[in-house]
Amino acid sequence: MSTNLNNNNEVSFVPPFLKKIFEYIKSTPVWKSIFRVGYPDTMPKRMAVMRSSFYMHIFPTKVGMHGMKIKYGWCMGGITFFLFLLLTITGILLMFYYVPEEHRAYNDMKDLRYVVPFGMILRNMHRWAAHGMVFTVILHMIRVFYTGSYKPPRQFNWTVGVLLLLLTLLLSFTGYLLPWDQLGFWAVTVGTNMASATPLLGYEGPFSKYLGIQIDNDIRFALIGGTRIGPNALIRAYVWHCVGLPLIATALMIFHFWRIRKDGFSGPM
Amino acid sequence: MDKENEFEKRVSRRRFFNITGWTGLCAFLGSSGVAGARFFYPKILYEPASTFNAGRPEEYTAPAGNERVVVDERWKKNQRVWMVRNREGIYAVVAVCTHLGCTPNWFPTEVRFKCPCHGSNFNPEGEVIAGPAPEPLFRARIELAPDGSMIVTTGLLGIRRANLQTQKKTLGVFWTEEEKEVIWKPPYFLQLKA
Ligand code: HEM
Ligand code: FES
Repeated sequence: MSTNLNNNNEVSFVPPFLKKIFEYIKSTPVWKSIFRVGYPDTMPKRMAVMRSSFYMHIFPTKVGMHGMKIKYGWCMGGITFFLFLLLTITGILLMFYYVPEEHRAYNDMKDLRYVVPFGMILRNMHRWAAHGMVFTVILHMIRVFYTGSYKPPRQFNWTVGVLLLLLTLLLSFTGYLLPWDQLGFWAVTVGTNMASATPLLGYEGPFSKYLGIQIDNDIRFALIGGTRIGPNALIRAYVWHCVGLPLIATALMIFHFWRIRKDGFSGPM
Repeated sequence: MDKENEFEKRVSRRRFFNITGWTGLCAFLGSSGVAGARFFYPKILYEPASTFNAGRPEEYTAPAGNERVVVDERWKKNQRVWMVRNREGIYAVVAVCTHLGCTPNWFPTEVRFKCPCHGSNFNPEGEVIAGPAPEPLFRARIELAPDGSMIVTTGLLGIRRANLQTQKKTLGVFWTEEEKEVIWKPPYFLQLKA
């Protein structure tokens, strides 16, 4: 019989030399710095796992059963976040081919569609996920409203959420111009002309004439970098869309999730 | 000695550094904010010129039979202007919808401009006859060059806006009497011999 008995008098089928190797690996600093608390077989150890891991620490150390239940809300906030990640990845890939320049933008979209390998699915993923994110973020907001989760102590996260909603809409708006097609061009013409009706800040808005606001120094001018939608508007939309807004959104999401962890889930998602 | 102590009491070292420190920080952040905002307002624009030579008036056909006007679309794509010839002369209508800035289209059979964005309709004089547009289509300035060709100015200085001049409360969808005084005279209208 070649079975050997270990300390607990249990039969082990692992040959001694493998065991030695395991023991060695477990004693290395690398292993120890990844698995700090050992096998999480007790409640304190399980909680320590959550607390000491960078990736896990945004979760609560203990989650009530009700918080894990997915009900009619389908974890819409989670789906929204998933779509944001998808948009980030597909967006970065699109940036390798798309050039935000008057004469190239539309042709680059055509190239993505017809000649870039997997370009069509890439672009469609980005576009559909963008539409989807607007949809899911609104559903998420509705869920939070109907479950009363905006009430104290979560009122502050609702405020962060409103900013995230705004950022989602702005990302959608700036992205819409980038194909430089008729749809985007006129949508952004109309949208930025609405900005010119802003009170005080827009050249067509109420009271702005008392501040000396003109077409070439109002808020619309700052948004599109000129008096009409042109190359400046395109590059501005591009930089806001690809860098500025995602960075702000990411910072706010980190804050949003940290707040959820601090306040705890209000109930089934 | 005593005086110094008294000063120390009123403004302690800690308080002094507190005030100067925060003042400095606020001044820094404030001026950075202003500078950051200023950054977004370009000083120079590379936009198309707002004047162009539209050729001689004789190159535009006059209305015949019971036609009210002839709308010439040759400059629409590049300059966003229609040259409109009526029985008395010629005027330039800016092809920018006064609602939210789309480009309307000219429908000769219906004798009206229609905007594809939200359906504003304008008559050949530019007056709003349907839809959300709050004022008539703008007129561009026409001046005659020495060689007899028309110099059209579509930029800020060349555009005749309805409600900018007459500070009236209700938005004029049709030209008002004062506006009519202006738009049917040079530089917004070029009288031609029939
Ligand atoms: C970029 C957009 C957003 C993302 C990625 C996001 C993500 C999330 C996630 C993952 C949760 C966890 C619970 C769940 O999935 O239902 C959550 C909870 C929450 N969200 Fe959002 N959210 C966004 C926008 C919003 C908006 C627009 C609001 C409301 C104005 C909002 C308010 C809240 C509140 C109050 C909670 C706590 C709800 C609870 O504990 O039951 N969020 N969010
Ligand atoms: S932009 Fe022409 S009707 Fe709205």
